[in-house]
Amino acid sequence: MATLALRGVSKSFGATRVLSEVGLEIADKEFVVFVGPSGCGKTTLLRIIAGLEDASSGRLEIDGKDVSDAHPLERGVAMVFQSYALYPHLDVFENIAFPLRVAKLPEAEVKEKVEKAADILQLRDRLDFKPRQLSGGQRQRVAIGRAIVRQPQVFLFDEPLSNLDAALRGEMRVELSKLHQRLDATMVYVTHDQVEAMTMADRIVVLSEGVVQQYGSPLQLYHHPANRFVAGFIGHPTMNFLPAAAAAGCGAEQAAVEAAGLGQLKLPVDAAGVPAGEKMELGVRPDDFELADGAGDGTLALRIDVLEKLGSVSLAYGTGAGAKLCAALPGDAGLKEGTEARLRLPPAACHLFRADGTACRRLQAPAAA
Amino acid sequence: MSALSKLHRGTSLFAWLLILPAALYMCLIVAWPLLETVRLSFTNSALGVEDYVGAENYAKLAGSGRFHDIVLRTFYWMALSVCLKIVLGLAGASLLNSRLKGGGIYRVLVMPPWVVPIAIGCIGWLWLYQGHFGLIAGVLQRVGILDGPFEFLAYRDSAFYCAVITDVWIGTPFVTIYFLAVIQAVPRELHEAAYLDGASRWYRFRRVTIPYIMPSIAAMSLLSVIWTFNSFEIIWILTEGGPRGGTTTLIIDTYKRAIANFKFGQGAARATIIVLLLTAFSLLYLWAMAKINRRYAH
Repeated sequence: MATLALRGVSKSFGATRVLSEVGLEIADKEFVVFVGPSGCGKTTLLRIIAGLEDASSGRLEIDGKDVSDAHPLERGVAMVFQSYALYPHLDVFENIAFPLRVAKLPEAEVKEKVEKAADILQLRDRLDFKPRQLSGGQRQRVAIGRAIVRQPQVFLFDEPLSNLDAALRGEMRVELSKLHQRLDATMVYVTHDQVEAMTMADRIVVLSEGVVQQYGSPLQLYHHPANRFVAGFIGHPTMNFLPAAAAAGCGAEQAAVEAAGLGQLKLPVDAAGVPAGEKMELGVRPDDFELADGAGDGTLALRIDVLEKLGSVSLAYGTGAGAKLCAALPGDAGLKEGTEARLRLPPAACHLFRADGTACRRLQAPAAA
Repeated sequence: MSALSKLHRGTSLFAWLLILPAALYMCLIVAWPLLETVRLSFTNSALGVEDYVGAENYAKLAGSGRFHDIVLRTFYWMALSVCLKIVLGLAGASLLNSRLKGGGIYRVLVMPPWVVPIAIGCIGWLWLYQGHFGLIAGVLQRVGILDGPFEFLAYRDSAFYCAVITDVWIGTPFVTIYFLAVIQAVPRELHEAAYLDGASRWYRFRRVTIPYIMPSIAAMSLLSVIWTFNSFEIIWILTEGGPRGGTTTLIIDTYKRAIANFKFGQGAARATIIVLLLTAFSLLYLWAMAKINRRYAH
């Protein structure tokens, strides 16, 4: 049982502020992923939870108890490092046993716990190996094993898959998700890879420049991004943004916007308080474009510069409506580079962002799970 | 002969040509003097005479109790001095590595014994060890440990340990700076991981830092052994091997015999023994290093 709460946590290194007033609640047994671009403060936040850094201000609570000043051991957290941090001179058994040796557990108990962890991680036949004799994936598992034997309340992972090749990364993602179910523990996971975040997380924290941009389930972030940053960060390929301007007739039920090359659009979003003439941005995910039969409002001409044929879909990169665009179109549509395709934007699929970057709430988007 | 093997022959000839100057140089300054020393050791070479005497020089040494004492003393000198340098160097490096305020200043302050010319450092220590107006005897009298002047370099035992102290003083800074660089190369995550597991500073030093830098400790120990074994000027300036041979090591004995007494043949026999001892030591060490590297390799 472990809930985790960060209350108003800020951190500065000298004059540089890397985290601003971070407030989060993480439920028991939840898998939460911190995601954001390099330098957004996600690793610093994790290190504050671990006890490797002190927050400049704010509080950290585990199970409702303030542990801001507690030693990592008292916090009941275990961390898996990006570089694995395995002791090169110790074999796999002793690497996994390290925390138990520190705690001076009797030999029999050490053996039992290490072997149990090795069974979970399929390392039983590697216990005599040195780290340098293991593959990247196996080293990763040893690092996880060292965390498991401590039976922590909270597991912390700092970009644990970033040193693995793409195929192994996919495998380890599944392994980690299984491990989470099996161990039934709270897990906090840092990555810059939004695919990792989307596939593994119960909830995702999107960070940018030390500020929490949004905290929600993967689908909530995908369908209802709070602002332009989250919309652009979550989803692959990334969302297209088209310049637009608010027209007369914006209200709580719909927004009327004018966009060059698209004409007048009426979108089912909450645009209460948007004055006519405000510069806005229209957001469209590449998957949401549809091939149109003819010209008209809500359609645009995409000049295809590069076509990536992936099979069932083709990704068309080019320009249209005054912006660089990417559209995921049916693979059998007979598209060619250097030609123009006519695309339709379904109004219900559009996102609308105000001048300050905040999103207008979408009214017809799928409910987030 | 095919064109290819002609080409190979041309290439290897060219390679030999490139190595030749260095090879000649090595023959001139290493191989020839070494062989000449070995040859001399089988003669009674002295001023004006040189006859072949077979293994007589070696036989004399083998039967000389005084020489056995010198060999034992040399090993004791080496073991004591090297151990102290390694332990103090490690301790100093660990302290310098901790995040102290103005850590850079301490790093600079470590250097003087190493930067100052050895002769000047030794003369400084001569003054310190002086019985009547030396600082050490003065302080010990003030605090009541000595009840009169004490000439540290006038007694066999005290002179020996004084020489060790000075040798350690001169040799430790280099060892410290070397270990500091090595310790700083230990990945920070290893310490952080151990810290999260509840390991204390001392535990981390023993179980993380030391094993990680073990190959470097071994390499530094070998270098230090050779330097200390052959350390000449410190002892010579402090005591010239005295009093009554109390600080005479193999190298001092060799010098006295060959250069001071002009017994070149006897000196050469001693020098040859030094070469054999150091070679044996190095082989032993290489074997140990290979074992250590296998065990602690990263």
